[in-house]
Amino acid sequence: MSSTPQGTHSLAFRVMRLCNPSFPVDPPFRLDPADLFVGEDMFDDPLVASNLSPLLSTHVSTATDSSDMSFADRYLLHHPSDAMGFSDLLLLPQSFGAIYLGETFCSYISINNSSIFEVKDVIIKAEIQTERERILLLDTSKSPVGSIRAGGHYDFIVEHDVKELGAYTMVCTAWYNDGGERKYLPQFFKFVVANPLSVRTKVRNVKETTYLEACIENHTKSNLYVDQVEFEPAPHWSSTRLKADGLLHPADNLSAGEIVKPPILVRSGGGIHNYLYQIKLSSFGSEQVKAKRSNILGKLQITWRTNLGEPGRLQTQQILGTPMSCQEIELQVLEIPSLINLDRPFSVHLKLTNHTEREMGPFEVWLSQNSPHEEKFVMINGLQTMAVPQVEAFGSTDLHLNLIATKLGVQRISGIMVFDTIEKRTFDPLADVEIFVESD
Amino acid sequence: MDEPSPTTDPLTNQFGSLNDLAHDLASLQDLAMRGSWRSILDQVSRARSLALLSNPHDHLIYLSYNVLALTKLRRFTDASADLDSLHDFSSNHYKYESYPQLYPSRSGSMVPFSLRFIHAQLPFKLGNRQQGLDRFYLLLSFIRQKIEQKGSNSFQESAKIWRKRENFVLHCLIGHHLGAKEFNVCLDLIRDLIDHDYLDPVLISKLGYIQMQVGDIVGAKGSFHRVEAMLNEGYSSLSEVEFRNLVNRNKALVYLVGKDYVSAVREYEECIERDHTDVVAVNNKALCLMYLRDLSDSIKVLENSLERVPTVALNETLVINLCSMYELAYVNHSETKRTLSNWIGRVAPDDFDASCTRV
Repeated sequence: MSSTPQGTHSLAFRVMRLCNPSFPVDPPFRLDPADLFVGEDMFDDPLVASNLSPLLSTHVSTATDSSDMSFADRYLLHHPSDAMGFSDLLLLPQSFGAIYLGETFCSYISINNSSIFEVKDVIIKAEIQTERERILLLDTSKSPVGSIRAGGHYDFIVEHDVKELGAYTMVCTAWYNDGGERKYLPQFFKFVVANPLSVRTKVRNVKETTYLEACIENHTKSNLYVDQVEFEPAPHWSSTRLKADGLLHPADNLSAGEIVKPPILVRSGGGIHNYLYQIKLSSFGSEQVKAKRSNILGKLQITWRTNLGEPGRLQTQQILGTPMSCQEIELQVLEIPSLINLDRPFSVHLKLTNHTEREMGPFEVWLSQNSPHEEKFVMINGLQTMAVPQVEAFGSTDLHLNLIATKLGVQRISGIMVFDTIEKRTFDPLADVEIFVESD
Repeated sequence: MDEPSPTTDPLTNQFGSLNDLAHDLASLQDLAMRGSWRSILDQVSRARSLALLSNPHDHLIYLSYNVLALTKLRRFTDASADLDSLHDFSSNHYKYESYPQLYPSRSGSMVPFSLRFIHAQLPFKLGNRQQGLDRFYLLLSFIRQKIEQKGSNSFQESAKIWRKRENFVLHCLIGHHLGAKEFNVCLDLIRDLIDHDYLDPVLISKLGYIQMQVGDIVGAKGSFHRVEAMLNEGYSSLSEVEFRNLVNRNKALVYLVGKDYVSAVREYEECIERDHTDVVAVNNKALCLMYLRDLSDSIKVLENSLERVPTVALNETLVINLCSMYELAYVNHSETKRTLSNWIGRVAPDDFDASCTRV
């Protein structure tokens, strides 16, 4: 079975991408007879107007008589809306167009016998090949096509959800008997899948609540109707979409109180739209989450529609929250005095929390030494190391550090270290805290 | 709403026939209805060279047909030049009162409104979209002034005609903005039409199609429901058959978008049963058949319509669709397309764009 040169095949594949048809728009030159037969102010005189109207109405295109060779509808307006040039006739896709990740590739495949002989025992296969995989779309070997008569054809429609970027090849192959010889016809159709959008996210924490900002940017060549952008939270999280209060323009109303909401259309080639979600940990889940050190918030699921409602769908990767809650030992500042004087001791009230499911400690707490890069102006007043007893699983304890500042102005309390004396591990669980030191 | 027009006395009615309006107007009109635009150019040229046009209004009407014929033949630069020969639409040369012997007791502009429309539409065809838009918006403003004027002078019939022109220009603008995908402007203009009392089932259907095109399926369904409700509200712009077919076609579109092509075909067949000249239903049914993998039948439906009702079926969109189907169905599609192209050459009007066969 050898691959026969193209020119000697009786069969040939013809393919056409079957995305949705569209409505062509072409504002026409179509007129009202009243605007052509007479001057524009002719109707000022009511007698003239009444004499003219029967004459004009006989010349307005009414129901078309198909027996007369009249192309009136190409010249006269049948209905005022004709002036829009928005044809109700659908037009088949005229080119392959662009295809994007998340859409469904659909193609009409027709295999034609252009010879004058019948071909027999026809087996057809269609396959999609990408860099990473080969996907079978069609294989008639189980239910054979049989024979195709001279001038006949056999049709298929194949569909494939596009989940990979880059170069695709649709390979259509046919095996057939052509006057005793078994022939093999491969045909290749190439296209490229591009990325339709990019998503930028930002996570912010305000006390117990996490806010997720998502910005969707449209990289396609057409305006994208964004149907839905849903945030699917990870287990133990719940989310609500925050929207500006319905700012409906009063002119949004059709008569009889109906509203035509302007659709959210993200402009082609770089347009953006922003979404805001409020995400909370359910109280039951919070300890499990912290124990697992998981900071996965969830995923965004985006569905959009293009021409005549052609759908597309993408999911983002897991979106991560800030790592704050994945620490084993957490140190929080509960209280700092509002007035801190130079060279005068002051007390900082801290809370140490054990986020693990085992008992930890006893601990030793100190301030790290001066480093070559940084001189410290806030230090522990008194015993340089503080002993803290054990803390049970998921428990916490209070401690008071006695500090003193040796320089005026904005200074930092930094490098509070917590050392677990049993596990022999050091934690640096507190970000720098700024204080203002005033003179006495 | 409409006062019955007073019966016209054939002895005193000065406008009994088209030829009363302009020299040999009936002949021009007949040629235009057949799409014989080249013959119109000949007739205008002859009338001018033989000095058959005695009155200023004859010249204007002949100029209008000439300019229209040139645009129909896609000779847009020539059309523009001919139109520019008028210089200024508001000149006194084009006012009835400037010729009291010819038009006793008549006043106002004798410029056919079509010239203003073509003047605004031509720039789009010459690649000057911004100029076209400017002209249309200026025209809209001009029309609104006229409506006010006619209203304050109690010229009721005239005001009605000018309101028709306002409706017309708003529709033209929607078309041009739609072509540039400026959807929110289109929605604003549609609201404008509704606010000015031009609400109409065809308009709302078009709104539905625009919403569909953009992807707002829910919005489109809402519009189509609205159209159905209007069936019983007495809109006289459509006959009963046209209205029912409109509703069926809207339903078919919803099915089509939901990929239920079988139901869409059923709706279109109901339309065709009611009105075999409903070429929208015929064309769209053929497309549905193709999406149902029945390319042979889709071709047959389109070919049949060209044979049975050529004057309605012969339009560029349908022909492009048929040619696309030929290209898919036949390896040697050039021959089939050439046959079609030859038939079109014999039957089609002068303004038919034969390049759509891609032969």
